[in-house]
Amino acid sequence: MSGFLTRGTGRGGKTGFLAHRAGVAGAAVLAVAALVAVIAPLLIPADALDVTRVTAAPWQSPGADHWLGTDHTGRSVALLVAQGAGTSLFVGLTAAVLAVGIGTLVGIVSGHFGGLLAGALLRVTDFFLVLPALVLAIALSTVLPRGLGTIVLAIGLTSWPSTARMVRAQTLTIEARPFVERARALGGGHGHVIGRHVLPSVVPLVLVNATLAVASAIVAESTLAFLGLGDPTRISWGAMLHQAQLHGAVPQRAWWFLLPPGVAIVVVVLAFTLVGRALEAVVTPKR
Amino acid sequence: MRVKLCALLAIAMTLGMATPSATAQGPVILKVAIVQQIDSMNPFLAVFQSSTEINRLMYDYLTAYAADDQRVTEGLANRWEPSPDKLTWTFTVPEGKKWSDGQLVTAHDVAFTYNLMLNDEVARTANGSFVTNFASVAAPDDRTVVIRTKAPQVTMLALDIPIVPRHVWEKVPSIKDYANDRMPVVGSGPFVLTDHVAGQFIKLKANKNYWRGPAKYDELHFVYFQNSDAAVQALTKGEIDLVNRMAPAQFDSLGDKPGVTRNKAQGRRFVELLINPGAQTRTGEPIGDGHAALKDVRVRRALAQAIDLDALVQRVSLGYAEKGAGLVPPVFGKWHWQPGEQELRKFDPAAANAALDAAGHPRKADGTRFGLRLVGRAGRAYDEQASEYLKRQLGDIGIPLDVRLVSDNQLNEATTVATYDLAFSGWATNVDPDFVLGLHTCAQRPGADGKGGTSDAYFCDATYDQLYARQLSEFDEGKRVEIVKQMQARFYDQVPAVVLAYENALEAYRSDRFARFTTQPAQGGVIMAQNGMWGYYGAEPAGRAAPPSSRGPALAIGGLVLLALVVVGVVVARRRKATAGERE
Repeated sequence: MSGFLTRGTGRGGKTGFLAHRAGVAGAAVLAVAALVAVIAPLLIPADALDVTRVTAAPWQSPGADHWLGTDHTGRSVALLVAQGAGTSLFVGLTAAVLAVGIGTLVGIVSGHFGGLLAGALLRVTDFFLVLPALVLAIALSTVLPRGLGTIVLAIGLTSWPSTARMVRAQTLTIEARPFVERARALGGGHGHVIGRHVLPSVVPLVLVNATLAVASAIVAESTLAFLGLGDPTRISWGAMLHQAQLHGAVPQRAWWFLLPPGVAIVVVVLAFTLVGRALEAVVTPKR
Repeated sequence: MRVKLCALLAIAMTLGMATPSATAQGPVILKVAIVQQIDSMNPFLAVFQSSTEINRLMYDYLTAYAADDQRVTEGLANRWEPSPDKLTWTFTVPEGKKWSDGQLVTAHDVAFTYNLMLNDEVARTANGSFVTNFASVAAPDDRTVVIRTKAPQVTMLALDIPIVPRHVWEKVPSIKDYANDRMPVVGSGPFVLTDHVAGQFIKLKANKNYWRGPAKYDELHFVYFQNSDAAVQALTKGEIDLVNRMAPAQFDSLGDKPGVTRNKAQGRRFVELLINPGAQTRTGEPIGDGHAALKDVRVRRALAQAIDLDALVQRVSLGYAEKGAGLVPPVFGKWHWQPGEQELRKFDPAAANAALDAAGHPRKADGTRFGLRLVGRAGRAYDEQASEYLKRQLGDIGIPLDVRLVSDNQLNEATTVATYDLAFSGWATNVDPDFVLGLHTCAQRPGADGKGGTSDAYFCDATYDQLYARQLSEFDEGKRVEIVKQMQARFYDQVPAVVLAYENALEAYRSDRFARFTTQPAQGGVIMAQNGMWGYYGAEPAGRAAPPSSRGPALAIGGLVLLALVVVGVVVARRRKATAGERE
């Protein structure tokens, strides 16, 4: 692991993960976000986020009592942002895992077996690739019952094709290498080739892809929630933006209700992208 | 002054931001924000509130509702007389009223319109309920309309049917396919439709032939907006002159805007919480999957008692509503019912708990009794917020709620096939309470396929139905009011639904351009969505031209700065990217 972090010396210095300052910064931001997501539900008293129990006046601008002001019901925006981190990260991560999982499976299978099966799988991939993902996600989340699961499914089902394409390409390159041919000649079956040779070479790429997929999944979750298609009973950053828009934060000039969730989304997505980029540079060093 | 104005105007022009304000030369235009789409301009097909509102501007009805107190007043007819048996009504259409193309309005136009609806099923699409009881309609001469009904009908002076010109409509081959878009559209109302581009604007001109006299300004434009936020922004910038249906927060935000006057009016709408009382079809077959416990009226009363209506008014509607009680909103004064001391269900969770225990639903080990589903519309501010309160308040009496906020269609489906326990609903009521009361009769329940009725809450009660039949043939208004109140009391007592609140209609207008509007009723009334066209017709332009907006240049400069920032940002980002590429 330490090798991965500080490995080797390339042109002008180290090429391990720690050498990528932006990536390290991103990882630090993510650590903070994850910490907030985990401890916020434990520390925030339930009454503080219950619209029927709050006592503060609605639409208070930021001040000593409420660092980021209050929303249309008098809840503290700062607490809402902290509470929303969990939902946004959870949906982002699970949707990304789902998307990358489907993508990897389809990519490896179509790359390894080839023939009619690959043709069929690739046509399905093409179908999902050309379909506007947002429209499909909106359609799915309208038809299925409201809930976190639906959102995860809608995002996961619409964002796997690019991973599948990439993994397939990588699989083809690996399988063309002599050592795979050797393994086959020595009697290695499909399971052996995929499990022992293809998968290990694909995994780094998949990891990088997953990191970047989390970023886009968080944006997708926020988009759907903003459009009012999310789980309305749960607080997420996108849902906060939705409520801000629905309850008139713009004419109210309540920037403190719009800006914090928006900035939170930008920061976390940026952090995931930076980490993803850095990982990419580490995993596939340019020659 | 003139020089100064010219100079200001010149500055505004050079900035390319000249506001299309009412200047001395150009026509005076009232611009109104509209959010809801138009389903049809054909008055026989139009059912959306937006469309009927515009139809009211284009066509008169046989009678109208006065602006000040909503009493029945002159429409196309100025006199009416029922026969002693109340089965024959004679209306007189006075001489001198003209269509916008100059032709005279006669009794034949009225008879033509009603007979078209009697003979053509398609023509009954929008307003068919008014003529189902008609036996025949005739015009023995140019001035007289004689309507014979099968049974006495109290709503004969509340026939909300636009009367169309015979000389135009008798040439229409098929009502179903006629879009009524031959501009200008001939009508008898205060305005004439001259242009309509779907989703962009609707333009009307003042009708110079209007029998009450032409409006005090030249043109009336409806401008489309995606949402009311955008409309409110446009109002503050002076792009439009009149907005309605604002959210409480939007209304509050306009409080200190110069040149904007707000109008908080008593609305015609109420919001309610349906409680599935064991839905049945017209023939008594159970339909849907409502929770069995709700069939017990004691349980329904307990639920109603556990809901804090004051909190909903204060926190959800921000005070812009009145606490709910009967089915008729207080704006219709005499028909409105409030529970007396004996009947009133005060907010009392302890009593609700006791009632549920007594009804055989004790708390289980985990503190709950039974769970219920609450269906509401996602994206409707009231539902999203009120559901949080209901969840908490019913949770306190041991009834956890599973809140499902769904799309418009899904909500409609759930309520029409009764797959709900609790659901949000709401209605706009008319001057005559017949319609809203009729929603709760046994006959309005659907057939076996879930179609064919517009029952609001699947209420079916013999006492209520008897009262409904009695009020329908009671021509003594005092007695009818009494019956209508008894019906509302019965509804309140049986709780197939809890009327949560009567929402205020929140409107605002540019008082620097239009000095006053006619509200209906005169005290605390609305400008838009009236039972009439008085709000638009009675608008009076302010005396002077509006000063050009001084915020225009500031905004333009702000925009330029923002643009510059974006450009710089993009350039920097690209350069960074380039160097990053070189570094790797």
